[in-house]
Amino acid sequence: MKVTGDATLNGPVDRVYAMLNDPAVLVKTIPGCERLEQIGTDAYRMVVTAGVAAIKGTYSGEVRLSEQDAPNAFVLKASGSGAPGTVEATARVTLAGGPDGTTMVSYDADAIVGGMIGGVGQRILATVAKKTAGEFFLAVNGELTGAVPSTVEGEPAVYTRPHVPTANAPDFARGVLFGAAAALLGAVVGAMVSRRRRGD
Amino acid sequence: MTTRMFGEPIARREDPRLVSGDGRYLDDLGAEAVAAAFVRSPHAHARVVDIDVSGALDVDGLVAVYTYEDLTGRVAEPLPLLIPHPALHAPRTAYPLARDVVRHVGEPVAMVVATDRYLAEDAAERIVVSYETLPPVVGLAAARAADDVAAHLVQEVGDARAAIEAAPNRLHLELEIERSASMPMEGRGVYARWDDADRSLRVYTSTQTSTSVRFALAAKLDVPVDRVEVVTPDVGGGFGVKIVHPWPEEVLVPWAAMRLGRPVKWTEDRREHFVSSAHERGQLHTVEVGFDDEGRLLGLDVDFLHDNGAYTPYGIIVPVITATQLLGPYKPGAYRVEFRSLYTNTVQVTPYRGAGRPQGVFVMERTMDAIAAHLGLDRTVVRERNFIQPDEMPYDHGLIFQDGRPLEYDSGDYPALLEKLKKLVGWDEFAEYREQARAEGRRVGIGLACYVEGTGVGPYEGAHIRVETSGKVVVSTGLTTQGQGHETVFAQITASELGVPIEAVTVITGDTRRFEYAVGTFASRAAVMSGNAVALAARKVRAKALRIAGEALEVDASDLEVADGVVSVSGSPTAQIPLSTVAVLSNPLRYAFDAETQRATQFAVGGGMDRPPIDEDDEPGLEATDYYSPIRSTFAAGMHAAVVETDPETADIRILRYCVVHDCGRLINPRIVEGQIHGGVAQGVGGALYERIVYDENGQLLNASYMDFLMPYASEVPKIETDHLETPSPLNPLGIKGAGEAGVIPGAAVLASAIEDAEGIVIRKMPISPSELWSMRT
Repeated sequence: MKVTGDATLNGPVDRVYAMLNDPAVLVKTIPGCERLEQIGTDAYRMVVTAGVAAIKGTYSGEVRLSEQDAPNAFVLKASGSGAPGTVEATARVTLAGGPDGTTMVSYDADAIVGGMIGGVGQRILATVAKKTAGEFFLAVNGELTGAVPSTVEGEPAVYTRPHVPTANAPDFARGVLFGAAAALLGAVVGAMVSRRRRGD
Repeated sequence: MTTRMFGEPIARREDPRLVSGDGRYLDDLGAEAVAAAFVRSPHAHARVVDIDVSGALDVDGLVAVYTYEDLTGRVAEPLPLLIPHPALHAPRTAYPLARDVVRHVGEPVAMVVATDRYLAEDAAERIVVSYETLPPVVGLAAARAADDVAAHLVQEVGDARAAIEAAPNRLHLELEIERSASMPMEGRGVYARWDDADRSLRVYTSTQTSTSVRFALAAKLDVPVDRVEVVTPDVGGGFGVKIVHPWPEEVLVPWAAMRLGRPVKWTEDRREHFVSSAHERGQLHTVEVGFDDEGRLLGLDVDFLHDNGAYTPYGIIVPVITATQLLGPYKPGAYRVEFRSLYTNTVQVTPYRGAGRPQGVFVMERTMDAIAAHLGLDRTVVRERNFIQPDEMPYDHGLIFQDGRPLEYDSGDYPALLEKLKKLVGWDEFAEYREQARAEGRRVGIGLACYVEGTGVGPYEGAHIRVETSGKVVVSTGLTTQGQGHETVFAQITASELGVPIEAVTVITGDTRRFEYAVGTFASRAAVMSGNAVALAARKVRAKALRIAGEALEVDASDLEVADGVVSVSGSPTAQIPLSTVAVLSNPLRYAFDAETQRATQFAVGGGMDRPPIDEDDEPGLEATDYYSPIRSTFAAGMHAAVVETDPETADIRILRYCVVHDCGRLINPRIVEGQIHGGVAQGVGGALYERIVYDENGQLLNASYMDFLMPYASEVPKIETDHLETPSPLNPLGIKGAGEAGVIPGAAVLASAIEDAEGIVIRKMPISPSELWSMRT
């Protein structure tokens, strides 16, 4: 499945790039991200809760950033699995300066979605992925514009989500994003809304 | 005669039970059983690196978790190759639980047993399987490139290539049918009980063959056959997918019941059915045909690829049927057919109602239409000129059919069928209708398709009939029932043959406790096989009844007749004896159990003192068992015509008329035959216009739910107009041929023909959607 999209963020390219590579920011802005653990250079293990309404699942996986060309581009590879399915995604994220100190972020992703979600929800995945990506960027924008003060200081190896929902992601159970291109992975996982318990 | 039931369109006796919620399906059984759920592969092709079950262990109610490592004895071996074939040089069957490698999404990797299904699924969700993904092969194009060949078969009669080369006219066609699946309303299901004290196993399973499941389980589980009982309750549709056995779950559920000493049940859910049962239909055909200026076939060369999915448990029956049955009612001239059956990382392919015939008929009928178009001839004329004529019967094609026996048609009258079809649909008047429609700005088209269907494949079926002392007649046959109406037609045969009221007859199927030797219900064989076995057994019972009654009435048996359950002397209606009394007399008793049976006790019966109560060649009881085993299949035939309208703007396709003429020999029950045809046509329409299995390039099934896998509703199934021809089969005592698959077979072919006629666009691939048709216009 291929997903492409873009978003305009209210901050300069350098700052946006830094935020999209900052686990402390990501853990707060990715809807449903519970835990982010650094396991190497530019490599993280994550736990994400995603779903819609009463239907939730917990997914665990790894994210690796590569081909960094700060502040213009990077590549993110993510793999995750949970009861409703599996996701393997590769996303190329590019940043470009826009007018009035803004940044245009574009992502171009290819994802393999397996398991239950692959069979029953794939038709709507791209749509939901783009929607949740939009929510993610909105949350990042909130961080950029200082609407939400950062609650994580320093550089700990494990980032956990503050137990206060951020203003810009009030319903973080509705979808998941992960980093700028992790937005894609999260979106895909977030799209696992069609999972059914049994006996359908 | 009131007991003359054969041929009567009586209502199905099972329907009041089935349509009022009194059916008893697999999931209605075993409320006390613990439940199984399965962890299935999310990857089309992967190595299983690790299975971490620790997360599941905390689930309250968990009973057991099994992976391949836990399997014991022959359960750890691959599942059986059910139908070996010399051309299947690289067969492959699955392990009940994946060992090392998974080859399609949905392959079972771990089994969880818990106190209920919810907990079993909760526990299954907590099992973490690590995979190393491998490159998948998906679809026929990729399969051709990967060239992982399971089977390769060539059959040839005459020198087809030379005949085509020398022919005045030649055509080349590429014809494709996409993958689909049969989708019975009820999925698979297994419920097993192990009696440890008795060392016996009873298994209930939603199958098309209880007797074969029994033998397979006895072998797999190392339990003596006489300690295994397999019972098939009401089955909510089979359509071929349930002839496959034993399924991984069908082995694992009884195996777990034996290990746990508790009843275990598993009921398949719809998504499991999509990704872990079986599919069919996907084939890509290349046709070279040579013909004379009148449209007569001189040579036909068909080369096709068959996507057999990940495993080949059912052998190569589907492509073998395509290869032979595509010939239909025609003489092909010289014929050559070659196929390759290719592995892909998709669900295995096994027969689905029609079983390779819809593809074969599509190939042949598209070829016929192409020849007609090439020569500017009417499509019916080209067909007529190629028909096998009635006086050429029996007609031997010189090929080997799916039962390993000659492809020899036993009887049929194809010109008469075509005449009936033309009359029914108004073929000759259609041009006028088309003009009229065109004047109204409407686009209409007409198509037809002909087929011949080998039915009633062997090796055999049997039946046991007993007349009880109450006068009730119990008929048992080993094959299973999935809604075909066996309780009705076998009772009709029994009533007719035995001379009893149908109300007295009870029919039992699919229960190995009642009849142990059988093959199964598939290939339009139940009526032919068990129907004739029932007739033969009934004739034996009747002969015995006449003998006993003759002795009692002191008349010659040949002077007796049976009607309404009473044996009487011909021409002397007062001299009579009910069959219930004959049943009493048939069993010499020492101990009576009611007033009636006192007549059979030792001081009550007369008879000579120089004979034992039971003669040396006799047995007690008014009952008999007999078997029917045909020398080869019997070939039914039919022709369908459809009138379609296509929307000039949206390309929506509507079926205005659908006409069927059908010849399945003598009809046991015309109403049931029509019902079978109607259901088949509905599936044929689904296969032509709606249903398809869609995989992405990674082997993920994209439409694994009824949200996206479209099945026709009543609103999409046209009114079906039918007419029958009855050409009896000379091969069996009742002169019947099978009818179960008939309706579905020409669906894709006839609708392609009609849409092509409406649009003037050549159609070479089915199914077709309005979007596809719309794209083809531009």
